[in-house]
Amino acid sequence: MTRIRVLSPVSAVRSENLAAPPLPDDWAGRTVGFIDNTKHNFDRLADELGALLRARYGVTAVLRRRKANAAVAAPPELVAELAQACDVVFTGSGD
Amino acid sequence: MKAGTPAGLIGTTAFQGLAVSELAALGVSGLPLLVVQHPLGGERPESVARRAHQALEQLTSLIGSPAAQDEIGRAAATRSSLSPPTVESALAALDTVDDPEAVLAEFVARQWCDGLPIIPPTEARVRALLGGAPPDRSLGPLPPLWRTATLEALAVNAVMAGCEPAAFPVLVAAVRAMLDPAFNLYGVQATTHPVAPLVIVHGPVAARIGVHAGSGCFGPGFRANATIGRALRLILMNVGGAWPGRHDMATQGSPAKFAYCIAEHVDASPWGPLRADDSVTVFGGEPPHNVNDHVSTTAAGILATVADTAVSLGSNVGWFLAQSQLLLVLGPEHAATIAGDGFSRTDVQRYVFEHARLPLRTLKLGGMWGMQDWPASLRAVQDDDALLPQVPSPDDVLVIVAGGPGKHSSVVPNCTFSRAVSRPVEPLT
Repeated sequence: MTRIRVLSPVSAVRSENLAAPPLPDDWAGRTVGFIDNTKHNFDRLADELGALLRARYGVTAVLRRRKANAAVAAPPELVAELAQACDVVFTGSGD
Repeated sequence: MKAGTPAGLIGTTAFQGLAVSELAALGVSGLPLLVVQHPLGGERPESVARRAHQALEQLTSLIGSPAAQDEIGRAAATRSSLSPPTVESALAALDTVDDPEAVLAEFVARQWCDGLPIIPPTEARVRALLGGAPPDRSLGPLPPLWRTATLEALAVNAVMAGCEPAAFPVLVAAVRAMLDPAFNLYGVQATTHPVAPLVIVHGPVAARIGVHAGSGCFGPGFRANATIGRALRLILMNVGGAWPGRHDMATQGSPAKFAYCIAEHVDASPWGPLRADDSVTVFGGEPPHNVNDHVSTTAAGILATVADTAVSLGSNVGWFLAQSQLLLVLGPEHAATIAGDGFSRTDVQRYVFEHARLPLRTLKLGGMWGMQDWPASLRAVQDDDALLPQVPSPDDVLVIVAGGPGKHSSVVPNCTFSRAVSRPVEPLT
């Protein structure tokens, strides 16, 4: 049977690789931030995890900031505020 | 993270595949990902607390050990059975048996198509479709996997869908429109909502390439509608990488995701076209919601049925008010009745804006209550009987005419976070 050559419909990714800063070894006295993606219960999850981090690791402050809605990126000023004020920042992703 | 502050993600198991692929596509695979059991939304407080402990356990295994961080990152990627197939260049070629069933089997196995038979995208067919347009020209990266939308990549998918060369500039215009930030293509691609981009073709080009605007325009039977719509979906799946359940997280999806393309029925519109130039509008919409009104003989009667169809507690429209839009696709007979009462297109927009409303007490029952993104003027409302708007202004009610004989129209609600965008259809050479 004859053969046919077809092109792939999948295109290539062009992206640079960025190194992620490592998490701190010692969390005592640190400030942890959460970006609330507004999905249901993320605020509660962040508060529960924040309380655990205070109790178990000596985290002293927990900041939670809420973006406008789940479908848009957090505004630059919110990101800048948390980057400035926090030692580690977690963001909610998906439902 | 770009600011130098350590950062991480928290997500649920159902979204792990999307998160892992997204981080890899953005070149930040090393970012810590804490995965808790899905679902999180709708769970009781004690269930949420258990998930917080899950996140803490994972964080504990990461802290203080960069090696462990790498290991966890890899484990997350390999644990997921939803890992994406290897990324290949659009120029990559596949040699296979020259037989329709064999070609389909190869494409299905690679997750390169929608499940329906395809036209094999040989280099000759792709060149013919490009018609001299530069294959390497890029329209930009397409989310959620941010692969490059070159004209060649679009053409390969257009050939597969059965597009004719004359339709290719319309398809390219639609992709350009979807890349406007106002369309929020990332959200449209990755959301659990069943949104699909509806392509509305305007101007003389619609008739020239055979985009149907009459009876059954949302349905089967018309090559241009079917193949432009299908090509767009294949592009979103193959170039954007939105595979169902992995990067397209639609809970149920919709038949509109196979193909969703119509034209305006200009001759049947009492108000002329929404746009007269050769152009396309992309509208991130739900499938059409039927408006059945067999009895009304006045504009107010028809539009009461339209307004009632346009609002429901289960709709996304209204919750993120600034981004909410409604598209009315009026059947010619309904449009004639409305225009017969002296209504202009602007009158229709205003009437629907003012009447497509829900009382605060209804909104409090469920939907997205508590997650809404409302302006202060709405947040301040206390009266449970107050009727609240579902779109921010009359201009956010778009009105076109399409369809054939009969007493039906459609309302197409948007997915609440994607706004309609139009682009001209331009020559590609």
